[in-house]
Amino acid sequence: MSSGGPRTKRNMPGLLRASLNPWLVRVPDHPERLAFVLHRVTGVIIILYLLAHIVVTGTPAWRGWAAWDSLMTQFNNIWNQIGEFIVAGSVLFHGMNGIRLLLTEFFGLCLGEPEPPKPPYIPPTYRACQRKLLYAVFALWPILWFVAGLLIFGVW
Amino acid sequence: MAASRIQVWQYITAILLIFFLGYHLAERLPWLWGYHHYHETLYSQFVQHQYHSWWAGGLLILAYVALFHGLNGVRGILYEWRPRWGRAWDALFWLIFIIFAILGTYTVVKLW
Repeated sequence: MSSGGPRTKRNMPGLLRASLNPWLVRVPDHPERLAFVLHRVTGVIIILYLLAHIVVTGTPAWRGWAAWDSLMTQFNNIWNQIGEFIVAGSVLFHGMNGIRLLLTEFFGLCLGEPEPPKPPYIPPTYRACQRKLLYAVFALWPILWFVAGLLIFGVW
Repeated sequence: MAASRIQVWQYITAILLIFFLGYHLAERLPWLWGYHHYHETLYSQFVQHQYHSWWAGGLLILAYVALFHGLNGVRGILYEWRPRWGRAWDALFWLIFIIFAILGTYTVVKLW
């Protein structure tokens, strides 16, 4: 391995190595790795929010609608809005990237045709439309997140 | 449970989430419902109508599907971390799923 060049490692088992290594290992021309890590991180944020959401939305059933309205008034503060903004960004990325994963992994679309591995080998999937979808996700995500921010912070 | 089957359930629930969560999020778009601000869509004046309409059933399905998808995703990560503890992860998955599914069901049924 030449110094300063991209570092590659085996994808070893284990939570940190297998799941978070994509951030620690530099691989050229591989935005799918970044998408993989972001998908996991946003997924964990969303499930934590979901569990809290189910508990909180139970308030009117336990304590009535007046308690719910009081709670919503309490929640209308900057710290809660920042939290909602983070969740909104997580949902937007996870959802859009999830559609790409459904198309490629579940329906087998946008993967390109297999071809003989002639050097320099560039996997057909890197040139297939799944890569364009991934770039579209990375491009749309900040725009939609910004719009969600306008809604959440009451600007729009 | 086989890892491949866990993943297949992720895809099936993801497809359902596109529709159910999509509608749930659309409920937070104020101009669709005649409100001026996002926050207004969170108050009882708007929210309690959800529990008195056909969407109450949709909320229940959304709760089950979202819980399954989210917890199943965490289970998949835990399987990678400690594959030999598979049964423990399965038990933890079903325990949390059932507890929160009961909580969600109680909310929807009580407010219906």
